[in-house]
Amino acid sequence: MSNTHHAAAALPAEPERATLEGRNKILGFWLFLGAECVLFGTLFATFVALRNQVPEGPTASELFNLSTVALSTFILLTSSLTSVMATMAMHRHKVKPMLGWLVITVLLGLAFLGLEIYEFNEYVMEGHTFTSSAFATSFYTLVGFHGSHVAFGVLWITTLILQTLKKGLTVVTAPKFYVAGLYWHFIDVVWVFIFTVVYLMGKVG
Amino acid sequence: MSSQHEHTAAENHAHRQEGPRNHYISFALSIILTILAFAGVVYGGLDRGFVLAFIVILAIVQAVFQMVYWMHMKDRGHLYPIMFIVMGAVIAGIAVFTAVYWMWW
Repeated sequence: MSNTHHAAAALPAEPERATLEGRNKILGFWLFLGAECVLFGTLFATFVALRNQVPEGPTASELFNLSTVALSTFILLTSSLTSVMATMAMHRHKVKPMLGWLVITVLLGLAFLGLEIYEFNEYVMEGHTFTSSAFATSFYTLVGFHGSHVAFGVLWITTLILQTLKKGLTVVTAPKFYVAGLYWHFIDVVWVFIFTVVYLMGKVG
Repeated sequence: MSSQHEHTAAENHAHRQEGPRNHYISFALSIILTILAFAGVVYGGLDRGFVLAFIVILAIVQAVFQMVYWMHMKDRGHLYPIMFIVMGAVIAGIAVFTAVYWMWW
């Protein structure tokens, strides 16, 4: 552990930008996020086009329960705040607080996923399955894609935590935390549009 | 190399002085905007078109705020990230606009 402290003391001011590789990693990740915008944009477009195509099965306003959605929204919003706190702790070279904030982020992500699984299960019980209507298919594709992004983020940040317990915070591991933080914020930004376009608009009709 | 290092150190110093306050403000603003959007839908009686425009504008404001503060887009050296995201958002916007135009106009 004293070894880790020594390495942290020698870290430059913004460890994620200290090396060319780190800066390139961040730049490349932004290009990836631009491509993710296109991916989610086309899924949103499909959903918006098909959201009233319900020949049989429940419609959006019959189905959605806004209190569950509000709870998911606040969980994900809070996890975005804890992940920015982790990045700030990293800038101060405080490894333990950073890992603590990330553990909270992962737990909140798991809570979000648990709620989503519960919600999908309820919908299937009510006859809203993947093949029941065009609305259902585009709904599960869009919201499920977002959910799988959350699941990937949970796995990714967990493995980063384990790696840092072993190797400490260095100029090699710092860029990984920075881009994982960007990814987590991006997921939250996508969710802002999902609760607006899918759930709130579904209730409005 | 050393001058660049000084530059990042100075930049970071400014960032440190800033502290977490901006992030708390973004968080509070996000919560307020979210509550407004939910309230606009739940406590209805308003015009449908108005509510739809209202919640979409709130979502865009919240997304921009989170990207500027939490994804550090306001910091220096973010020209290319902004270009990438804006290009992605433009294509996404064209896709959504096309779907709305086809199905809902």
